Amino acid sequence: MKKFVSVTLLLVLMITAFSVKLTFWTAPNPYQEEFWKIMVTQWNKQRPDIQIEVQTIPAAGSSEEAILTALAAGNAPDFCENIFSGFGAQLADIGALYAFDNFGADFTKLVQTRKMTSIIDKWAINGKHYVFPIYSNPMLFWWRGDILKQLGYSNPPRTYSEIYDISKKFADGKKKFTMQVISGRNWWDRWYDFITYYYAATSGKSYIDTVKRKVNFGDATGKKISEFIYTMFQNKYTAVELGTNPFYDGTILGKITGPWEVNWAKETFPKVIPNIWISTPPVPDDYPKDKPVYTFADSKGLVIFSTCKDKKAAFEFISWVFSNAQNDALWIEKTQMPPAREDLTTNPVFAKYMEDKFFKAYSSNVAYAVPPALIDKTIDIQQAMTTYLVEPLMYLKGKPDDILNNAVKEINKILF
Amino acid sequence: MSRMGSGPVNKRSKFGRKERIFGYSVIIPYVAYTAIFWGYPFVWMLILAFTKWNFFSKPRFVWFDNFLKMFTDKVFLQIILNTLNFLAYLIPMILISSLLFALALKKVKFGRTFIMLSFLVANVSSGVAYSLLFSNLFAVNGPVNRVFDALFGVTIPWFSNPQLAIFSICLIITWKFIGYYGLILYAGIQQIPQSLYEAAELDGANKKVLFWKITLPLINPSLVTVTVLAIMLTFGIFTEPYLITGGGPMQRTTTFMIYMYDTAFKRIDPSYATTVAVVTALLSYGLVTLIRKTFEREVSFV
Repeated sequence: MKKFVSVTLLLVLMITAFSVKLTFWTAPNPYQEEFWKIMVTQWNKQRPDIQIEVQTIPAAGSSEEAILTALAAGNAPDFCENIFSGFGAQLADIGALYAFDNFGADFTKLVQTRKMTSIIDKWAINGKHYVFPIYSNPMLFWWRGDILKQLGYSNPPRTYSEIYDISKKFADGKKKFTMQVISGRNWWDRWYDFITYYYAATSGKSYIDTVKRKVNFGDATGKKISEFIYTMFQNKYTAVELGTNPFYDGTILGKITGPWEVNWAKETFPKVIPNIWISTPPVPDDYPKDKPVYTFADSKGLVIFSTCKDKKAAFEFISWVFSNAQNDALWIEKTQMPPAREDLTTNPVFAKYMEDKFFKAYSSNVAYAVPPALIDKTIDIQQAMTTYLVEPLMYLKGKPDDILNNAVKEINKILF
Repeated sequence: MSRMGSGPVNKRSKFGRKERIFGYSVIIPYVAYTAIFWGYPFVWMLILAFTKWNFFSKPRFVWFDNFLKMFTDKVFLQIILNTLNFLAYLIPMILISSLLFALALKKVKFGRTFIMLSFLVANVSSGVAYSLLFSNLFAVNGPVNRVFDALFGVTIPWFSNPQLAIFSICLIITWKFIGYYGLILYAGIQQIPQSLYEAAELDGANKKVLFWKITLPLINPSLVTVTVLAIMLTFGIFTEPYLITGGGPMQRTTTFMIYMYDTAFKRIDPSYATTVAVVTALLSYGLVTLIRKTFEREVSFV
């Protein structure tokens, strides 16, 4: 007996001495943190040879700042979640990431098991996969069904003309505006307005040709969108600043948002929630009725840093988490965000979540949600989109066509 | 001979061993602190300004490339103009309002400390919190515009018109610093001997003359201090435009700090961000020197 105890002790000691210890950073978001803590506790019990320590991304101005400074200081984690695909592209560009393709067949198998074969295509950076998609938040429009009903509508508007039609009945240019057309003036806001409209109107065509390094939105569709934004501002159907929670106090009828707002809205504005209608982004009048409408995906994933002590061990953990659909169900329960998988509406594991109208709407659009163009100059491009395209349209500085052409010219200069 | 021999010995033993040890032990914490938190970043800054680095690889030496890039950088030139635009509003606004505050404070009989503290609350409140507050207050359908609409039937695009946006941000900053700068000016006013005013009054000076000929010239040091502080403040504006206008409209409220932050952490180009920081520091130092050379007067109450 004594011998047995000492041998076991020795074994345990050896395992702990030779075991890998990996640091894993998670988003500083209590819901996601909870999910990962559960996962890691289970894993650490099963695998004494690969021990994982969860830490939240340290508080800083932004998570980008925290990760970059950690990289510079040489104390980056081994792997990290909640990485925005655009930031992933930047990290890959400086050589800080390890490509998942290096795991070969194991990676392909994981992609198949998690039902994300077509999703993963849109996540490729220069032909390789550096970011493993965790969740994909399709951006959808919320409409005030109660007010629209009073105005005589039974469905949310689908096309630009339908929005003009509602505007004529509702907007007064001072206290009432139809919808939020422009999301803000920061460069990232372009994802939630112009780029979303472009994806919607083109069935998900990229707004930038990342290979030829040219702007795609200088086409007929881009013109229609510019015209739409211009018309909305010209007629005062929308405004730049709309104050706090304009949607909930009835100042506007519609706005774009992601699933992260659901829980907050349920708690803060429980009376508005039952009256909300959800729709895909508006499209030009000639967009085919039977075709699905695409939208922008605010999507985040997981990366393994090239400085990781044991990449294979990290991948083993990642495969273990994402091979089991139950874990994705737990993710939904904790975060309300749709996992990046194609079988959300068909897999019985997720059936009970489909009863929630918000979750159902968001998850059924995951397949039509496109991440941003993965290019190194994202900020400068979108800053230029703000300065040369969206702002002139908002302030009615010139004809929409001329504004668009000029913007395309300026952005092509940046890309060149 | 003996004098020559004793000279150097005398110099060395000016302080005893014990005193020297004591002396060094007193300055070592400061020197160490400076070396770590000032010297090291300073050296690192110089390295960064002359190299290309991306947080991850080894810095690559590029001579003056970063500095040359600045001359063709349209955004950088725009920011210089923006900063001048900010200065044109902020300096007069801040000087006049804090001077008025200081003069009013002098008149107050009771509860002076309470008033001072109330104004200083703005100075210590969180930039993020009051930026959100103001952006809601000045929204197109916010309370301020509702009042304007009710009274005059017009709404003011506080943050949408470039000049108004700059003005609005200056208004917020003035609100924040009025208590602090007012206090500096108030201290300056307090220093002026009462006898000067009495003598002038005997000579028949009225209130206007007292202000222009006595108060204003004699608080010159405080005024210059406030101006210098306000200039440095202008070069460091970040939170308000970052949160309220996002540097717009038309990039007109983009500041040096916003550009540095975005360049370092969003464009992943810390070298260029550092170069911008170096040049910004030189520009603000130059401007401060110019102001001091032009306006600073020596004041003594003898």
